[in-house]
Amino acid sequence: MTDKKLGPSVYDDMFDDDALAAMLKEDKTIVGLAINEGYAKWAYAETNPKDSFRKPEALDDMLVLDVSYANFGALYASSILAEFGAEVIRIEPPAGDLARKMTPYGIMIKDTGLAYMTEARNKFHITLNLETAEGQAMFRTLASRADVVIEAFKPGYMDKLGIGYEQLKALNPGLIYCALHSYGQFGDDSEKYGNQPDYDIVAQARGVIMSITGEPDLDPEVPPEYKRPLKHGNWMGWYVGGAWAAFGIQAAMLVKRRTGKGQFVDCSPPEGLLAISNYVMQYYHMSGNEMPRAGNYDYAVFPYTYVKCKDGYTFMSGFTDPNWAALCEIMNRPDLQKMFPTIKERLTPENQPKIQHEIEKFTENYTSEEILQMLTEYSRRPDKKGTVVTGRLETPTDVLTRDHWRVRESFVKRTDPYYGEVLIQNSSFKAMSRTPGRIKWVCRPVGADNEFIYQKYLGVGKGKLQQLKEKGVV
Amino acid sequence: MDQGKAYQQRMKELFNVENLFGKRMPLEGVRVLEVCYVVLGPACCDYLAEFGAEVIKFEGQKGDQMRFVTPYAFFWKNMSPGLEIENHNKYWVGMHLGHPRAKELFLELVKKADVVADNLTPGRMAEWGLSYKELREVNPRIIQLHVSGYGSWGPWTGRTSYDAVAQSMGALSPITGFEGRGPIKSGVWIADWITALMCAVAIMAALNYRERTGEGQFIDYMQVENVIRFLDWTWLYAYLTGKDRPRSGNRDLAVCPSDLFDCADGWIALAAFDDASFQGLCQAMGKPELFQRFADPLERLKDENARELLKIIDAWTRTKKVEEVEALGNQYGFAASRVITAKDAYHRPHFRQRGAVQEYEDALYGPMVQQVYPPRMSETPSRLLWGCRPLGFDNEYVLTKFLGLPHEEVERLKADKVIFQWNPAVPSHCPPPDWDGKSGLKLG
Repeated sequence: MTDKKLGPSVYDDMFDDDALAAMLKEDKTIVGLAINEGYAKWAYAETNPKDSFRKPEALDDMLVLDVSYANFGALYASSILAEFGAEVIRIEPPAGDLARKMTPYGIMIKDTGLAYMTEARNKFHITLNLETAEGQAMFRTLASRADVVIEAFKPGYMDKLGIGYEQLKALNPGLIYCALHSYGQFGDDSEKYGNQPDYDIVAQARGVIMSITGEPDLDPEVPPEYKRPLKHGNWMGWYVGGAWAAFGIQAAMLVKRRTGKGQFVDCSPPEGLLAISNYVMQYYHMSGNEMPRAGNYDYAVFPYTYVKCKDGYTFMSGFTDPNWAALCEIMNRPDLQKMFPTIKERLTPENQPKIQHEIEKFTENYTSEEILQMLTEYSRRPDKKGTVVTGRLETPTDVLTRDHWRVRESFVKRTDPYYGEVLIQNSSFKAMSRTPGRIKWVCRPVGADNEFIYQKYLGVGKGKLQQLKEKGVV
Repeated sequence: MDQGKAYQQRMKELFNVENLFGKRMPLEGVRVLEVCYVVLGPACCDYLAEFGAEVIKFEGQKGDQMRFVTPYAFFWKNMSPGLEIENHNKYWVGMHLGHPRAKELFLELVKKADVVADNLTPGRMAEWGLSYKELREVNPRIIQLHVSGYGSWGPWTGRTSYDAVAQSMGALSPITGFEGRGPIKSGVWIADWITALMCAVAIMAALNYRERTGEGQFIDYMQVENVIRFLDWTWLYAYLTGKDRPRSGNRDLAVCPSDLFDCADGWIALAAFDDASFQGLCQAMGKPELFQRFADPLERLKDENARELLKIIDAWTRTKKVEEVEALGNQYGFAASRVITAKDAYHRPHFRQRGAVQEYEDALYGPMVQQVYPPRMSETPSRLLWGCRPLGFDNEYVLTKFLGLPHEEVERLKADKVIFQWNPAVPSHCPPPDWDGKSGLKLG
């Protein structure tokens, strides 16, 4: 386990409070390019992140047990609920959740990796061995007063331990029980492959999107070894699965508030991706055909692509006829507009590489910033033919230095009493006027809240806790 | 029947997908006014609609841009598949809210609504006198969600965003792609779909809070920031090391092994990080010594070790068929699955059995087969009722049912061009060419 300080960061000035306060005094920091400055100022006053902690929380009447293991789908779901104020208790086995070791290149900060550090926000951390009778009894007591249980084991594992949905429902009819698993809790594949654990790569592979993501199949310039499905760089399967779980749990909670009844929420992350896989299922239904991998092309909207520029890549659009006319005017290429006049010509796999190369002949002469300036000026012309949009391919280190994210407080930096200086992405719900999402603490060590939580919910004092520890229960 | 399957059978009975319509939906009684276009805003409302919300969608005279966004410019029965995918179970009104009389009608609807959602340029609703301030005056319980690329305030507010801009400005595309190759955009409009999802999550939180207190609120949501939120350890890694997360293809840099491997007849996604599954994988490969050598998961994640291990696994999978590795995965307890395509998902019984793919008969378009939003809920499941509709298709129904306007008044609004329907010269505005003039019309 690595336990070294990784060195001071260059991003610390982003969190200089005085500099930020000075920026916020200037109108342009707030109103930016707003069409209605009064609205921007009003919105700022309503959703100023500095006020978050003075406002109520949407879900602070809920108790959530996240008993998942090695699973960032479940962790993201409980993060969302925790950002809204739910009391989330993470239940780890005595040796800690393996998710703490899912970290790039094995980099650790004490007992915790970088990914877990990001999704431990506002959660209490206790340990409990669910494979002991005493551990199961304690879990039952906790679950009998919880609103939500979240787990991500193989289908039927909790049931076998006597703490599955049906058993817990008998104790607590209002319980919302959410299980995340690639194959779900029923269906042919669940029966056939239910002994496999849930991982992000499988969610991505089974979610259809991966089959159409990757370098373009129909581009002869792409070497054959790269003509294969490609996953999203992040844990898209897990995060999408977790977001759907949080959506379903809240829908179930709304029902519970009205009827008092809980239910089973079966969240299969691949179904989360399948459900948002654009039109490929519909297109297959209507035409009998499948879509190829298009790379950075798009056979439904084009130009809508990443092009090379002086300092890397930038996005360029111009797909409707007026917007394409505008792009051709900006590039001073009326010939291109004549050559590809309608979407029929612009949406073929043969023409898209040609159009791409012609656009790049233009964009390679400018930096992404110069292109942005050019397009912004054009957009202000009264005689403009349409709208062309650009956006730089920002690297993570670029993003961390941008004023916009700084004033919106998209990241939080904390000096954690145990883990030291860390930076994580803030709640993306922080601009809710009445109940903003927020981060109260970043992470807790394994078992750090045993004493508090067991005292609070089970009346277990220090002495009893010590005995349980010796027996391997906590 | 073994015990494992007995569990699945019981769950099948609990969820009872056959009896979908014998159960209620969680958002019944929630009325949503959708002032949205393209993918992001409409998708957010679509998620709510498949779980039972009554969504009324307002469209301008030109029609939602998705009426013109479709693969290879392919249209089906005059319908654009691009419009279908984020528009189910909705009521369609052709009305421009910039018109003073349209605004009056809209405010009448706001009194009877729960949620107003827009993804217009920030401030556009305010220009029309429909900002949260005004909505709250007529209905203090109203929840208003605005979503845009950069939100309603800040140095970049007002900048236009599209899905691909959010993927690039939020650094998703730069971390997606093969090692040593260029950045790759998602095969779908992922930033739109996932931002829509988190908008729906925010609305659910606001509905829960309102249920407790009676109070509505305003929500400002940012698409680019949402992409940032989804990038797991990217930011802490950049902060601590000063380095950008590299593109690593299908290899997971934080879980090892986890990658897409070649089989004799295709690809297999395979992962085995916990002790039991990694040990199982090593046994399946006939290399139990590998487990000893790479027993510590943190050691396994070190670049050199990871590369070596992945190479060994790749050499093994190449000798196997996809189906064999999937079966071994189940036998030895590691994760292994084929890559599923649209055609696979369409035909696979598993998804039909779960209600993840549903078939229904649409009054305008006939038999349809489509995905249905998760999660599966045992007591209040999501479902498909109908698909997208021609421009202004439900004008009369909405104005009569919700505002009680007499037929003559609706006709007057039509004559005054306050409300409008499809332009016959634009096929993707219109009903199917063989439409009988009645099918699908409510109160028709």
